[in-house]
Amino acid sequence: MPDILEIDMKVLIALIAAPLALAVMALSLRRIAVISSITSLVSWLQFGASLYLVAPLFVGAGSPVPILPGFLIDRLAGSFLCLTTLVCACSLTQAHFFFRRQLAAGAEVLQRVRLFYCFAVLFSLSMQLVFLCDNLGYMWIAIEGTTLLSAGLVYHNRDRNAVEATWKYLIICSVGIAFALLGTVFLFASSRYGAVPGGTLEISLLTGSAPLLEHQLRRLGFIFCFLGYGTKAGMFPLHSWLPDAHSEAPAPASAMLSGALLNCALFAIYRLSEVSTATGQGAFSSGLVLWSGAVTVLVSGLFLVRQHGLKRLWAYSSIENVGLMLVAIGLGQAPLFFLQALNHSVAKVALFLTSGSIIQITGTKYLKKMRGLAQLSPLCALVLVLAAVSVCGLPPFGSFIPEWVILLSTGQAGQWVQFGFVVTGLAVGFIAVTYHVLRLVSGSPRPRQPLSTPDLFVPVCLLLISLVLGLMIPEFFWGGP
Amino acid sequence: MTLFSFSEAVALLAAILSVLMVGSGNLRTNLLAYALSTAAIALVAGLRAGILGESHLLLIALAMVVIKALWVPWFLSRILDRIKVYFDPGTVLAIPIAMHTGIVLMGISYLLAGRLPLPVDGDPVTGSTTASISLLFTGALFMLTRKTAVSQVVGFLTMENGIFLFALTMARGMPLIVEMGVLLDVLVAVMIAGLITFKIQKSFEHIDVTRLTDLRE
Amino acid sequence: MTDWLLFSIALIVLPFLTVGTIRLLKARLQNRLGPPLLQPFYNFFKLLGKEEVVSNDASWLFRFCAVANLCLALFLALILPWLSFKPVFLIEDLFLAIYLLALLRFFSILQALDAGSPFGGFGASREATLSLLVEPAVVLSLAAVAVIARSTDLGDMFSFARPHTLHDLTVWSTAGAALFLASLAELSRMPVDDPTTHLELTMVHEAMVIESSGPNLALVELAYALRLVVMFGLAGQCFIHALFCVIHPQTSTLAIISLLVIFAMILITALVETVVVKLRWTRVPEYVAYAITMALLAAGGAIMGRMT
Repeated sequence: MPDILEIDMKVLIALIAAPLALAVMALSLRRIAVISSITSLVSWLQFGASLYLVAPLFVGAGSPVPILPGFLIDRLAGSFLCLTTLVCACSLTQAHFFFRRQLAAGAEVLQRVRLFYCFAVLFSLSMQLVFLCDNLGYMWIAIEGTTLLSAGLVYHNRDRNAVEATWKYLIICSVGIAFALLGTVFLFASSRYGAVPGGTLEISLLTGSAPLLEHQLRRLGFIFCFLGYGTKAGMFPLHSWLPDAHSEAPAPASAMLSGALLNCALFAIYRLSEVSTATGQGAFSSGLVLWSGAVTVLVSGLFLVRQHGLKRLWAYSSIENVGLMLVAIGLGQAPLFFLQALNHSVAKVALFLTSGSIIQITGTKYLKKMRGLAQLSPLCALVLVLAAVSVCGLPPFGSFIPEWVILLSTGQAGQWVQFGFVVTGLAVGFIAVTYHVLRLVSGSPRPRQPLSTPDLFVPVCLLLISLVLGLMIPEFFWGGP
Repeated sequence: MTLFSFSEAVALLAAILSVLMVGSGNLRTNLLAYALSTAAIALVAGLRAGILGESHLLLIALAMVVIKALWVPWFLSRILDRIKVYFDPGTVLAIPIAMHTGIVLMGISYLLAGRLPLPVDGDPVTGSTTASISLLFTGALFMLTRKTAVSQVVGFLTMENGIFLFALTMARGMPLIVEMGVLLDVLVAVMIAGLITFKIQKSFEHIDVTRLTDLRE
Repeated sequence: MTDWLLFSIALIVLPFLTVGTIRLLKARLQNRLGPPLLQPFYNFFKLLGKEEVVSNDASWLFRFCAVANLCLALFLALILPWLSFKPVFLIEDLFLAIYLLALLRFFSILQALDAGSPFGGFGASREATLSLLVEPAVVLSLAAVAVIARSTDLGDMFSFARPHTLHDLTVWSTAGAALFLASLAELSRMPVDDPTTHLELTMVHEAMVIESSGPNLALVELAYALRLVVMFGLAGQCFIHALFCVIHPQTSTLAIISLLVIFAMILITALVETVVVKLRWTRVPEYVAYAITMALLAAGGAIMGRMT
């Protein structure tokens, strides 16, 4: 279909070139207000462009469309691309208000805000590139690029805690990514034994010739890639960088990290498990993924009980959702995986952006010191409670459906131990989050400086989207990638 | 002596150099041993370019020498000069025992290399596969037993060397762009790590990463 | 017959020559003129003619150990294959050699303790610790060579008639490196101990011989010089065997190369003593660990070679 390919290219090039131009602009222009407005506008245009790019895929038969050698876009990748651009657009819009308030309060340095925007747009570019990659090597480069660029975001505040968080993030994720590189090399080596002449790194070719891959090397490759990308996704026990990084970054950056970056790593894991399943002997790998997901949900649920910082609380909730998505991947159900990612991202971004506003209002990020939010700002408290409830998977919000179906599928597959883990983890997590949020909201506030109304437009919109997702059950998502 | 067995011997030399690197507590000696080890691996890449006739390997070997064997140790030693740290303040494992552990791990990697399937074309590459797995182990050992921030970076780079050697010998024909991308990523990672090390020294008055515990609950 | 003649000449000349060369090289490197090359030779005869001063607490062991040391050193020079043109003696067992080396140390320690001075005491204790640390390196590297030669007869192990495969190259070179590093420690040279130090508290070997004078000292110094040349020769032979795996020179060339290798090691020792700082006693195990690492590599390589 030559028509579709051509339209893809022009819009695609615009999609890629825009962040580069924005980065240059962020470093050169003077006024922050101008930079942030243009960035938000362009990021919404990016979202529109990605919807336009991806729409034709869902109309016809939906076969994957190759773009350049090594790049491919299919339904799942396209859906994730739209989700990523949506998350970045929302975060960058809220960043405009966030930094305006920060600069007005004198808590921010101009040069650092410029650097923030530069890193943020390049970060969103590298995340979008991850979904477009078919070549495992390019995907590795893109994911390592996201690590390096988001380190710049985590480093934003430059204080002791930020330095420590950045160091841990950089080291742990780089070591993990090194393991993923080793796994990639193993997979390449496994393809040289007759599957593809000369070997290949293209996932589509690997999946196509999966039964011919050399068994031992493929299995080793999957294990190492899973370890590596799992570190990046924040699965237990390699998650120790995640709470620090997500809590020390400024709120819009935390939203992007939780809402979009984790999806990139999980997408890589999904592609690899596709290769494993296509060999026909995928029981080992899907079992591994399923177990890791279940254990992650349980452990993070337990961790949620004792938390002291607001953003750390939501970081552990992200780990829990990563576990759920791993369970979905382990069951081999792509639409379920995407649905869980979509609902989680929407709700988590709303949550982080609201938390950013709350931290700005109350002046602290520790739960103990924020009390009586309902009396300080009723709207804020309402939005926070609804967002927290949405993330935990309570109906009528959207997160309920994928969590419910995941539990059903786990039961149907007969994996009762994992089922028990997931149920316990979700239940304990829900109780913990409710406890912390209600303690935050109720009570009497300590006297603070006079407040202005928080900027909650973006989180409210996201919550509405989550509600809509919950109320309509899209047939769409059961159509298959 | 054929060119092929010479390249295997040089790969083993790179692994031995990295084990000897574990045996020194002087940070600059570690950087020197790392630089020599990387240069040996670049030599292996160059030799294989000659054996197999793949000229893009020469380009990678050259890039490796310039970036990883020359620039990275120079950059890290400049950082050490600025923060005036010369010795590892104390390691988790005593240095001689760590070096002997490195040898034991080399023996284990020989056993593991014997269990991997032989390459589909060419001669058996047990020597360089042993060397690459041993480099991985040594890098991990170095990262786990040392406390200085710069030592962690050097351990990570040793692991990357092992992975590169593995790709060179077991997985011939990896695309040039991927290798270059990997080198670029490593370059940027080291730059960022160096800057952050400097900042750690400024903020915390030490670069002992085991004392970075403020954020722990 | 000519073998024995050449070897006797080497045995008589080389110890004095090597010690003199080290001192001369160090002096020239430090911008001094230095003593003449054969000064140790002149010292030996001078000391033989001097009066001996012996501590009142010393017993018959004092003189006996010096003589026993010299005899053992000569015997070791006869059985250890430290030159390529050394004729094969009656018995050349590896384990005998190792135990004789240990016996040599035993007599030195006994002599130091016998004089009853505190310097002798702690010199002896340091020497004992050092030999404990270094022995694994020496034993493992020689054992590795024995494994690839499939015999513990030193003549067979170091013979050039056996086929030298490429795999043996790693074992020979690492064994040679281990022996060289270990001999630097055993002979109490830098970086473990400075042989020219005047501060008794820093001495290891010198503290043991500090009570000897006159003929006793002459014998002790000769025994030390023999040990030096034999151990360096042994390490050098390992390197020559490593070279032999690649190219095959003739026997006469090998003889010249053996002598050259010993002098190369002398040069390295002189350089090390000029440039390197003496290690603190608590850091000596780190240095010895390098020797043990090389020996472990040699042993590992030999075993892996036998397994495949």
